[in-house]
Amino acid sequence: MLIGIIVVLGVVILYVWSLYNQFVTIKTRIGASIQEIGNQLKRQTDLIPNLTATVKGYFKQEKEIFAMITEARKTVLEALKTTDAQKLIDAGEKMQQALAPIRALFESTPQLRSAEPTVKLMDELRDTADKVMYARRTLIDLTADYNIKIVTFPSNLVAKIFGFKPEPGLKTPTGGEHLEISSEELKTPKVGEGL
Amino acid sequence: MINVYELQDRNKRRSAVVIAAFIAFVVGVGWVFARLFDYGPGAIGIALIFAGLMSFASYWWSDKIILTLSNARPADRKRDFHFFTVTENLAMAAQIPLPKLYIVEDSAPNAFATGRDPQHAVVCATTGLLQKLDRSELEGVVAHEISHIKNYDTRLMSIVTILVGMITLLSDWFLRGARFGRGNKDKDEGNLGVILLLLGIFLALLSPLIAKLMQLALSRGREFLADSSAAMLTRYPEGLARALEKIAADREPLEAANKATAHLYIVNPLKNFHSGVGWFANLFNTHPPVEERIRILREMG
Repeated sequence: MLIGIIVVLGVVILYVWSLYNQFVTIKTRIGASIQEIGNQLKRQTDLIPNLTATVKGYFKQEKEIFAMITEARKTVLEALKTTDAQKLIDAGEKMQQALAPIRALFESTPQLRSAEPTVKLMDELRDTADKVMYARRTLIDLTADYNIKIVTFPSNLVAKIFGFKPEPGLKTPTGGEHLEISSEELKTPKVGEGL
Repeated sequence: MINVYELQDRNKRRSAVVIAAFIAFVVGVGWVFARLFDYGPGAIGIALIFAGLMSFASYWWSDKIILTLSNARPADRKRDFHFFTVTENLAMAAQIPLPKLYIVEDSAPNAFATGRDPQHAVVCATTGLLQKLDRSELEGVVAHEISHIKNYDTRLMSIVTILVGMITLLSDWFLRGARFGRGNKDKDEGNLGVILLLLGIFLALLSPLIAKLMQLALSRGREFLADSSAAMLTRYPEGLARALEKIAADREPLEAANKATAHLYIVNPLKNFHSGVGWFANLFNTHPPVEERIRILREMG
């Protein structure tokens, strides 16, 4: 009888222990993804002065384009002061839009595409954008995982004991995935077929 | 529908079964060997210890051995920018540590992954692959290799590679032994001796083939899984589909691999680095038909 109680108690303690560790691990990983988004955006802002220098003189409305980039850069630098993932993502999004003319110019100008420094900078830029995209996706997955654990039984009890709160995560879908979803919706307009 | 964790568990279990089959096989062959040449139980012990040490060493250092054999150089972020950064991104997305990255100088486009677990994983690409594919296509290929690592396919396949190599080694011993053994033919061995001799010859000639067939059966199914996990990682199946098309259309032979396999095959059990989860597309017999893989990827996209 006594042994039985001890065994049950031991199992419960081990279970609570492992759940606690899971919560802490996911939370650390969420923090790491936000940090990664920040790091990559920082890298982007460092690349931009060099990039604008290499494409100087190629645009007709250079002033407007460069002003938009400077503006976006300011937003990113502002967002980097916080650890708010949503703010970081939004700022990064604004930066991607501001950089779109440069990407289009690069694709259509053979001169730039064969210039070593520009190619290097565009490669680095693409990599930062990719890394932000993957970090953002990891963040979304981890947050979903974490929040499900917090509300489902029995892990919700453990969350309550140790005071784990749901993570805010990211509110709006942005960028490519958002566009992919809408194009998917356009592709399948056959509503009545199933009836 | 089977989830990734069940898949990983199944792979780990399968690895255990393969190791058990391997040990049984070595004991069996060792016994036949000992009976035929009157070596006594000591010889079986030696064969077992030797096989055990060999396979443990090659399992433990599989990544290093394979890389040495294929003459690979470590990848460098500056020189191999896309390969390096794409792998960084996908390792992050798959939540595994960054694998060690290597390059083989060969103009045939190909890639493979190896290593006993995600902490000791290696992804290796040829210079041809890096030159011929653009970033999204390369991302597809690397995602495929990362999926092999994450699903523990690399562990299972390194074990199978060792199994195939050991069997080849044992057959070779037997054939050599048979040559030396001709001297004491006058000794009467009776029916059992004849049966054992036939069994020995059968094993010596056919077991490499049997082992190879086992390997094929194991590896084919995992290619589809790695393709679909890759599509899940990149969310862009078209990239891998295009890469497969390019690799399949490329008619250049993979010289580095072929030379190495040819002359090392008898000596070293790990020479068969074709199967460190298969060179990406060159060994199509270990892989499902490439057209089918492309079709399935296109359906996802």
